Amino acid sequence: MRAAALLRLALAGTRTDTARVLLTGLSAALAALAALAALTVLAIPEPVGDPYAQAEQYGNALLREPGLRGGTAFALLLLVIPVLALAAQCARLGAPARDRRLAALRLAGATPGQVTRLAMLETGVASLLGTLGGLGLYLGARVLIGRPDDRGRLALPTDVLPSPGALAAVVLGLPLVAALATALMLRRVTTSPLGVTRRAARDRGPGPWAGVVIASGLVAFVAGGRVLRSYDGSSEATVWLLGVLYVGGGLAAMVGVVLGAGWISHTTGRLLHRYARRPAPLLAAGRLMADPWAGSRTFAALLAAVTFGAGAAVLRAYFVLQDQLAREQNRLSGVDAGDNPFYLATMDLVDLAIAVAVAIAAAGLLVAVVEGIVARRRAYAALVATGVPRATIARSIAWQSTLPAVPAILAALAVGTFLGRALFGDVSRGVTSTEICDASADLCADPVTRQQYTRMVSGPEVSRTADVPLEHLALLGAGALAAVLLTVAVGLLFLQASTAVEELRTT
Amino acid sequence: MNSDGVSTPHVLLGLLAAGSKHGYELKRAHDARLPRARPLAFGQVYATLGRLERDGLVAPAGHGRDGGPERTAYALTEEGHAALDRWLTTVEPPMPYVASTLFAKVVVALLVADVDRARSYLVAQRQAHTARLRELTAVKNEPSATVDDVVAADFAIAHLDADLRWLHTTLARVADWHREVHA
Amino acid sequence: MTLQARGVVRSYGPTPALRGVTVEIGEGEIVAVTGPSGCGKSTLLHCLAGILRPDAGEVTWQGHRIDTWSEAARSRLRRTEFGVLFQFGQLVAELTAAENVALPLLLAGTGRREARTAALTWLERLGVAEVADVRPGEMSGGQQQRCATARALVTEPRVLFADEPTGALDTLAGEQVLTTLVRLARQQNTSVVLVTHEPRIAAYADREVVLRDGMVDHTGLGLDTPLAGGHR
Repeated sequence: MRAAALLRLALAGTRTDTARVLLTGLSAALAALAALAALTVLAIPEPVGDPYAQAEQYGNALLREPGLRGGTAFALLLLVIPVLALAAQCARLGAPARDRRLAALRLAGATPGQVTRLAMLETGVASLLGTLGGLGLYLGARVLIGRPDDRGRLALPTDVLPSPGALAAVVLGLPLVAALATALMLRRVTTSPLGVTRRAARDRGPGPWAGVVIASGLVAFVAGGRVLRSYDGSSEATVWLLGVLYVGGGLAAMVGVVLGAGWISHTTGRLLHRYARRPAPLLAAGRLMADPWAGSRTFAALLAAVTFGAGAAVLRAYFVLQDQLAREQNRLSGVDAGDNPFYLATMDLVDLAIAVAVAIAAAGLLVAVVEGIVARRRAYAALVATGVPRATIARSIAWQSTLPAVPAILAALAVGTFLGRALFGDVSRGVTSTEICDASADLCADPVTRQQYTRMVSGPEVSRTADVPLEHLALLGAGALAAVLLTVAVGLLFLQASTAVEELRTT
Repeated sequence: MNSDGVSTPHVLLGLLAAGSKHGYELKRAHDARLPRARPLAFGQVYATLGRLERDGLVAPAGHGRDGGPERTAYALTEEGHAALDRWLTTVEPPMPYVASTLFAKVVVALLVADVDRARSYLVAQRQAHTARLRELTAVKNEPSATVDDVVAADFAIAHLDADLRWLHTTLARVADWHREVHA
Repeated sequence: MTLQARGVVRSYGPTPALRGVTVEIGEGEIVAVTGPSGCGKSTLLHCLAGILRPDAGEVTWQGHRIDTWSEAARSRLRRTEFGVLFQFGQLVAELTAAENVALPLLLAGTGRREARTAALTWLERLGVAEVADVRPGEMSGGQQQRCATARALVTEPRVLFADEPTGALDTLAGEQVLTTLVRLARQQNTSVVLVTHEPRIAAYADREVVLRDGMVDHTGLGLDTPLAGGHR
């Protein structure tokens, strides 16, 4: 096939296809921005000689201290995850119609390769435009916010650029990955020209084995805590074991929460189905039971963010307690000061990242809600024609989106809290001893006279467990639920257009 | 339409294959099995039986008197069975000729008259067809209808339906057709 | 006690679909609306059923103009006095047959148990009691259409609107659906507006309205031509 013909066919689509292309581009741009930010942090040069030398030109300790930059870059890369979830959600927008169109091309004689190239071209070009836009935005923002503050420090590392090779890898690599993912998702369409046929048997619904995955993650975390306590600081293998237990356990718990959303969807659907008296919850129950994984898919990024956020809330409580203990000990010594404020300042940044992740996840949710409405417009139009009020349909969509969200968010909060407390449970501060000078400043300043007036004050060893930050967790859960409700409300705006009687026309 | 070309001899052979029957029984069996066909006259039954006997396909199988007039019962001969088998295994040629009064009438109407005449004929014919179709549909959906009735009505309905489709499309083509006929 | 359309005009953008149609459907009457593709059959049905509002002309039901009613009022009319049946795709894929049929009753506030009982009765009448707990995706086209018919009739509507109800079925399945539909409609004295392009389907009606280019076609069997043979 000629390139022009390929392009013409790739562009032949409906408004939904246009929306999908735009959203694919947008999420590619977001992913590129996050990746570029991470790369920029990594590109900060380390001064030759002293490996602990700080990059004094920055206002933020996260950027100044070389030991923290790796973690900062990693956190930025983690932000790519909800963006990718958003991209996956966008790729599903109007996908059934697109699959039918591609299947029709197969029926018309196109080879599987041609059809796959067509779809890859669409995703690839859209993503490339997105990453190029992201690069443009990044370069523009560098110039705009690259001014030093009054202390001559930069807020962000706008003075360095990642290597051209790294830039090219982001701008070209992300579209390539997206195109390959598209090819993978299209396997079913390209193997059969008849496309996707109707499902033969009813699924029994997911079993509660996601609970096993979560439990194994939690156990790994607790085991990690044990290993850490008995660690004598010499064995290299133990460090590895710790890494495996914590990273693997954390991932397992998060994946378990996401998978568990499928079980939660199905179970809420079943319960709702049993007790529903009105049409709206009945419709919602039917959908929840018919496709429980839809909930898992749509809530994945949100639940991951909430789990992470709950862990972060526990960590903040830990730091707050540490600060408080330090303050108490210092007060004994007559000094009014807390712990190093760096940690709490960093937590603000982490919370900001979580808020951004929740916002991105909400965008993915919005796309999922809209796609659910648009894909079923014929059925909805038929219901409206038979006299079902639009409000009933709207209520059913609201039920279906929010009902499983509540237990799923609670589960994510619980798992995140547990993980956090397994890692940062008790705050303990060892015996402190401070030299105090009980005299006027003049006397104390003189080393000779100072000797006479000093005494040693020692604080006892303290060990306390931080309270569960209920308020913070409630705020996080409420925020996530609010995001769900908001997306449903916005998504319902599409219902009116999707139930127009024109959808019913057979001729 | 399709009333022509029914092979009465073979139908009678078929009816006799179930057991010997005399003329009156044959007529009754025929009218019961083929409820929507043109009813068979007695004369036709006896004439046909005579021909079949002459060709050696049926043979008298005893006389019944029952106090009434003498009746001769007929049964299939070996040859008769063979002839019936041959007929049953022969595939009917599907529509060898396009020959129908309906079709011929429209052609002639176009030849001797104008488009309007042909069209009004088609409309009138369509109306008659529709009425008959409706009548047969009603018969078929009568609660008392037997499978015999339904199958016979289905046969007629399918043909009427085909004719009606032809009438619809021909009505749309009549102007073009007239132009061609008078070119 | 009739449904009437007087001088109904309706366009889709610049394309006129109906250009002044007047029809009347009597109580218990079965009327077929036929004509070639694109003649405005479905649009007329949508206007009569209060799904679409005509651009001009009026639609009256038992003496009330319904085309001026609000969407909510027309929705209520459609789920109480009217029943609607389409060619395909009208059942909710995630609900079982019984739940689909019970839906209009639940909307009317009937209790769930009661609604299910009624739904089962109607599935039985349509001869598809065996699929009561099966979802549409696992049924044949004929079974789906029977369920849809049961759903359209479960509220015992005064008028049933059927838009090519057998269009997606083979001859035998289509005939079975239609036979049952007509029989049940006559039992309940429900009027039927039957949109079809097939003569043999139209033959189930008492009367036929032929549309052509958005108007009643008087060279066809027009409005004033009740046909012989309707077995009422």
